[in-house]
Amino acid sequence: MGKRRGGSGACGGGAAPVGGAAAMPGAAERGSELSEQIEAFVARLRGGGERPRSEDTARQTLSLLRKIVAHGRWSRAGELMHLIRTEGQRMTAAQPSETTVGNMVRRVLKVIREEYGRLHGRSEESDQQESLHKLLTSGGLSEDFSTPYPPLRANVIEAINELLIELEGTTDNIAMQALEHIHSNEVIMTIGYSRTVEAFLKEAARKRKFQVIVAECAPFCQGHEMAVRLSKENIETTVMSDAAIFAVMSRVNKVIIGTKTILANGALIAVSGTHTLALAAKHHSTPLIVCAPMFKLSPQFPNEEDSFHKFVSPQEVLPFTEGEILAKINVHCPVFDYVPPELITLFISNIGGNAPSYIYRLMSELYHPDDYEL
Amino acid sequence: MAARGTARRGPGAGGSRGPDPQEEPPPPLQAVLVADSFNRRFFPISKDRPRALLPMANVAMIDYTLEFLTATGVEETFVFCCWKSAEIKEHLQKSKWCRHTSPNTVRFVTSDLYRSLGDVLRDVDAKSLVRSDFILVTGDVVSNFNISKALEEHRLRRKMEKNVSVMTMIFKESSPGHHARCKEDDIIIAMDSATNRVLHYQRTQGLKRFRFPMSLFQNSIENVEVRHDLLDCHISICSPQVAELFTDNFDYQTRDDFVRGLLVNEEVLGNQIHMHVTTEEYGAHICNLLMYEAVCFDIIRRWVYPLTPEMNFTDDKNQSYTHSKHNIYRGVDVSLGHGSVLKENVLIGQGTVIGSNCSITNSVIGQNCRIGDKVTLDGAFLWDKVHIADNVEICHSVICDEAEVKEKVKLKPHCVLSSQVVVGPGITLSEGTVISLHPPDEEEEDDDQFSDDSGVNKEESKVKLKGYNKKDVGSEGRGYLWKADDKNEEDEEEQRQSLWGPALHSEEESESDSDLSMGSEELDSRAASPQLDDIKVFQNEVLGTLQRGEEENISCDNLVLEINSLKYAYNIGLKEMMQVLSKVILEFPLQQLDANLDSQNYFSALLPLLKNWTPLFKNYIKRASDHLTALFAIEEFFLEHDSLCTSIAKVLMTFYQLEILEEDVILNWFSMRDTSDKGKQLRKNQRLQKFIQWLEEAEEESSDGDQD
Repeated sequence: MGKRRGGSGACGGGAAPVGGAAAMPGAAERGSELSEQIEAFVARLRGGGERPRSEDTARQTLSLLRKIVAHGRWSRAGELMHLIRTEGQRMTAAQPSETTVGNMVRRVLKVIREEYGRLHGRSEESDQQESLHKLLTSGGLSEDFSTPYPPLRANVIEAINELLIELEGTTDNIAMQALEHIHSNEVIMTIGYSRTVEAFLKEAARKRKFQVIVAECAPFCQGHEMAVRLSKENIETTVMSDAAIFAVMSRVNKVIIGTKTILANGALIAVSGTHTLALAAKHHSTPLIVCAPMFKLSPQFPNEEDSFHKFVSPQEVLPFTEGEILAKINVHCPVFDYVPPELITLFISNIGGNAPSYIYRLMSELYHPDDYEL
Repeated sequence: MAARGTARRGPGAGGSRGPDPQEEPPPPLQAVLVADSFNRRFFPISKDRPRALLPMANVAMIDYTLEFLTATGVEETFVFCCWKSAEIKEHLQKSKWCRHTSPNTVRFVTSDLYRSLGDVLRDVDAKSLVRSDFILVTGDVVSNFNISKALEEHRLRRKMEKNVSVMTMIFKESSPGHHARCKEDDIIIAMDSATNRVLHYQRTQGLKRFRFPMSLFQNSIENVEVRHDLLDCHISICSPQVAELFTDNFDYQTRDDFVRGLLVNEEVLGNQIHMHVTTEEYGAHICNLLMYEAVCFDIIRRWVYPLTPEMNFTDDKNQSYTHSKHNIYRGVDVSLGHGSVLKENVLIGQGTVIGSNCSITNSVIGQNCRIGDKVTLDGAFLWDKVHIADNVEICHSVICDEAEVKEKVKLKPHCVLSSQVVVGPGITLSEGTVISLHPPDEEEEDDDQFSDDSGVNKEESKVKLKGYNKKDVGSEGRGYLWKADDKNEEDEEEQRQSLWGPALHSEEESESDSDLSMGSEELDSRAASPQLDDIKVFQNEVLGTLQRGEEENISCDNLVLEINSLKYAYNIGLKEMMQVLSKVILEFPLQQLDANLDSQNYFSALLPLLKNWTPLFKNYIKRASDHLTALFAIEEFFLEHDSLCTSIAKVLMTFYQLEILEEDVILNWFSMRDTSDKGKQLRKNQRLQKFIQWLEEAEEESSDGDQD
């Protein structure tokens, strides 16, 4: 994926053209403006007040990185990679649960490696890493990225622009596959609110009639919003409480959910309540389909320092106005669930359907092994 | 510059800002942060470190306040420092707020002359620092509130009616009994529910009964809400007029003065105050250690999300934490010995070493602490570099920087060890012990009660040759017990209250485990005025004046003049003035007599005083209602001092004979029905009844005489 198209007029869509030269008057000012923007982005990630859309986060990260490439002080690929890595570390540390940021940083690092390799005269197939042997030994073949190539800046920017275009189309690409999975008169269950799933169901509803059951996903009850949006498209929608998931599961043909992150082992970090849903689906042998664009694929494993879970203010579980009782009890409000890969039947991403066991392969295509750890 | 400012605003303000209805963008938001509390509630802790820098879950309080301001879209903050201003400045200059990338520009204004919030705002006005609406906060506010909605409402109100609404106060809804509500800050508010206008604002001060002016309900306002479920966040959106008003009224010292003054003079000045109530977001003001404890727990229990420890919002490398189950936060390089258990709600700072078989729950431990084996910590707040030896038990206590607790020491709840104190080994500190390296007696000399820094200059000159009392701090201990032993008991109470807040007081009386049993049953008149509020201060001043008058034989006219000026300085109404004056004079002989409280002695001491000060009374007691107020004050006094009850008849008689009180009013007072049981008992006093009888007869006689 992400093959470079020839020609230079590739940028378009939402991506604004960016000047390539760094030695413009006021470069210092632009540098400080850039660090201000990064600072603001980090602050926004930290604040995380309204649940940000992963796609927006991905786009913002990419455009920030593009600015770093365009205006940063670097002359060699190695310096650029160091620059991107340090900024990337700051951004990911701000909100570890927002894995999209880190994924985008890794994608850009991979782009730089590829572009450098191309200019360095490496043949096209050598960075494909197709054989298992190359996969194993790739760590040893590190390059020093020290040769300066003037066209590198423009090339990298262009490649990032392509990534941005790819982002634009992800939801549509996933939705296009809906008709293969949803058939007439089926009963579909979903949980909470995912824009990808919404688009997926809406696409199917244009041709077929089916019924959707939405688990409300307490305490934030995003499911309500999902139900409202679906019923506006004339889809027969039912909202139910999370407690009823198991009871209703026997009538369900398919479970279709979204996710926040796909981990390296094919597991999910998804909105809390998903694990219950997945277990119930497993018990009734109902297929569980996960709609997730590729940028949610993260090369991290679930045992890393528990950094994935996110606990927010318990306000929604037990309001602060409750008074006396709050001093005597502990209230927790986790946002995410971990769903092990064996409960998942199929991933539908913008490049097609894959089983959880195949995730490792996609991972090695998307990211360079050296970049797994930022 | 302006364009640059607005360009920066977008990301800083967060996503929730709606499209602005106005054509031109509002000017950049400014804030005034007062990094001084102008009181000594945190003494002796704040002797070493200003209150704004006290660590709250290992982060200085002022950082929370600045983060709140920045997150809410403030672009320029004026930090006003007074006490230990250099330290505050140094801290902030090292922090992320002074980096050039910070969206919030921090400017310092320091002066040793600030004695109150009023002084600060007068200075704001004098230097014309603010250009438009600004946010006023103190340096000890912890909040994740997004001000934009309240600000929009405020601006809209200002636009609709030019310059009428001057201030919007932010309140957080929290029902009575909540652990983050402290009695000292407890308020009762009357508001217009349609417009959110504040009609009446009063601190409850533990009172059971409240008076609201009748005019409140007689106005044309349709729905008046009286609310007692609000927590004052001490965040207010002010218009520049607020600073001007402080300049115009030089006697405004605190925000309370301002609010009260504005509400009282509403009809004259035409200014209004509005309020905004938030339910979801968090906001609290740390006014004593009880609140400190409560807010710390709220941070650890994630109520203030996203200002949680693992977010590391200060961007300090030493402050990165990992968060795991049961709200356990661990810094970098923390070592935990074999068999030690972190139960729940524990925060451990970087580089801390904990020995084996410890049990730690609900605690905050600072950076680079050393904790021995078999230590039990429950509700302990250890700051940086604290050393705890083996077999120590600490319960609900604060231990400041570099303090040391030796083997087998037990700390009962609410102990405070200020910095570098050493205690032990093998002693038990009783509940509420406060130990500091600063000897406590340097306290009582200074008269200025309002500033953090008074008494410090003297401290330097005083060489501490006094040895440490080994009984208090243990054989290897270092530090002085902070207990006012040479004064009467009330002093001690006051001191303990000043650190832990008044709720502790009620806890002691009700003997319950929870800090929350703020039952209003046991509230007597003593608890009713626990803090040094204006009236109390005023009372002290009047007492001082009278004492001087007695000693130096100052004439009554001059005394009247002095008391009048005090009255204006403290913004005291005529009625309170009356009460205070009566009370002070009646209490006057008590000080001289001390021990032998005998009604006979008491009266003989009082009589010459009353005679001396008759003109004083006559100056103030003019109308019938004044007479009644004075009578009530007298009644209150005698209710408080049961042993003197018998002399009430004589006192009233004297008042009558000196023509201070008129017989009609005395009779009227006596026949009042709606009094408490105690009051009824008082009225059953034989001598009093005789006196009343005598009065009644005299009246009849005189009326008979008229008929003839």
